[in-house]
Amino acid sequence: MNQNLFQSGVKLLNALSRHSEVIMRAYLVGSVSASDISPKVLDQLLQLGVLWRPEQDGDYRLKGAVRNLLEGSLQDERNRQIDTNMASALAAIKTLAQHYKEALHYGRFAESQGHLNDLREHVYALTESLANHVRLLFSRINNEFGYVSSVDAKIRENQLAQSQVTDLLNQIELIRFDELSELAGNNRDLRHLLVVALQQSFTRVTKEQSAVQARLLELLGRFREFRGKTRLLKGFVLHSDQHPDFVPKDYTRFSQIPMLFNQAEPLLRAAAVDPNNVEQEAELQHLVGQIRTINRQRKHEQHSAAKSISIEVLAAVEMDDSRLREAVEQYFCHVIDSGENITALQYHQWRALDFDTEAWLYQVIGGYQSLDTEEQRFFAIEATGEPHPVYSGNYLIHDVILGLR
Amino acid sequence: MMNQQGRVLTQLLQGQFICQISDEEAWRYLKNSANRDALEPHLNLLNRTLTSTADGDVFFVGYTALGEDERKILGQQFQEVSSSLRPLVDWLLLVQQAQGSDVPVTMGTPIRLTELQTIIEDTPAFAEQLEKISRYRLFGSTSTQVDGQIKQVFKRLTDLGYLLKPNPEKQIFIATGKIDYLYEVLRFIDETESLSLAEQAQMASEQGSLL
Repeated sequence: MNQNLFQSGVKLLNALSRHSEVIMRAYLVGSVSASDISPKVLDQLLQLGVLWRPEQDGDYRLKGAVRNLLEGSLQDERNRQIDTNMASALAAIKTLAQHYKEALHYGRFAESQGHLNDLREHVYALTESLANHVRLLFSRINNEFGYVSSVDAKIRENQLAQSQVTDLLNQIELIRFDELSELAGNNRDLRHLLVVALQQSFTRVTKEQSAVQARLLELLGRFREFRGKTRLLKGFVLHSDQHPDFVPKDYTRFSQIPMLFNQAEPLLRAAAVDPNNVEQEAELQHLVGQIRTINRQRKHEQHSAAKSISIEVLAAVEMDDSRLREAVEQYFCHVIDSGENITALQYHQWRALDFDTEAWLYQVIGGYQSLDTEEQRFFAIEATGEPHPVYSGNYLIHDVILGLR
Repeated sequence: MMNQQGRVLTQLLQGQFICQISDEEAWRYLKNSANRDALEPHLNLLNRTLTSTADGDVFFVGYTALGEDERKILGQQFQEVSSSLRPLVDWLLLVQQAQGSDVPVTMGTPIRLTELQTIIEDTPAFAEQLEKISRYRLFGSTSTQVDGQIKQVFKRLTDLGYLLKPNPEKQIFIATGKIDYLYEVLRFIDETESLSLAEQAQMASEQGSLL
């Protein structure tokens, strides 16, 4: 173990933890100005390569490596860009593989182990960066490019992402497995690294990338549709502002009416209640029971103005009533005179009276009952009829027979 | 009990628009072509036929044969549609702008009334716009307060079938397929009258960005 390297690494990490607030501030805001930090701390951070100053007299920014570390560990995808330079990474891997094989060939095992470790580092870094790339694209797709608000910006971001996917796919094509497998030869460790590990990551990434591409295209379609709809609305407002008298032609006058405007009028109305349906009786009763108040729409009664009433008209009405009573009286007299029993309807027919038969019967019964008990004793009255077939307790009178006792 | 076919037929004959939002079950039923074919003879009997918007996501009923009477009814309907275009378009733009997401209101877009109201109350330009919209005859509000205006507008839109209030206790509305129908009407007018509305809007926004 290299003691010096270990010591300075520990020192760096300690410095990072000691000045974590400054670093996080620089990470979130993008830069820190010299006035915010004490010169001593600033010096230390500059020396350790945590901060740097891109321009003279400018603010201090975080070094890319520190930023990458934070982004990777915090899974912060806000402005993360991964630049995968596949060609140079592959070249480095191939070179290291050759170093390793040469060292093995000459039996320098300690050295070969070092090369193998480096090689592992490179291969895993490459696979990690590929996986990160896909993850980043997915997270952008999943929040639908939520970090930009306008649809136009989303469309631009989408196009950028698509070009990145194409780039990555092109770069992945640079991995030639036949070359790598030849290079690895029959060395087990090399084969595992160059063929197995890379191939696994290769298949996973290409599969995911094609999914990403499909999603991106779908999203682009949706964004374009949004933009089209918004433009349609805005265009309509603009047009009708510029041409206030604009009215679309009446397309329903065309010989061929577009399907869009062929919309039939509503046909069904609510069905009415059938009170004779015995099956629904329970429900209907329940409904009626729920009615709290009965609001009959009373027609506003018009109070007619006071006017003089002619007595003659009233007298005429009275006459009408008294004719019926007189006829009943005559009927009673006829019974007394003749001493025969005759039914009210028979008398009605015989005398060819023009009263309604029902009214006649009522009047006869009423006439009998209006007599004194003493006079009632002379007459015998009997109703012929039958009990009501449905409603018990009611008696239907068909005729009345009247006679002397 | 009525079966699904009867239920869908009833809704269609009542003049309803059926989309995934307004009635998902009926919509799924209509998405199946065998079901549509089974429904068609019933409708044809009444001189009606099943119609859908271009993307086939909103169903409604139209006439099979067009006589004088039918034309008269369609003419009236068209007058109503074309006179309500501007109020509806203004409202759609207001909601889109107030929500700040630059995404147009389409079928399935949820609108939270209280949130929208807060934004409109805090932004005088939006409040002015709402005032103008609520005065259209389509909405017919006479209120001077944002609260009354926005409630009246949303109530009318719900009555007209453009919005749906899934939970009566919550002030959350969902746009139905009738909104998509509206876009299609606009697109149709745009194409038939060669207005090139989208190009006009694009040009205006480009000129706006130059100024």
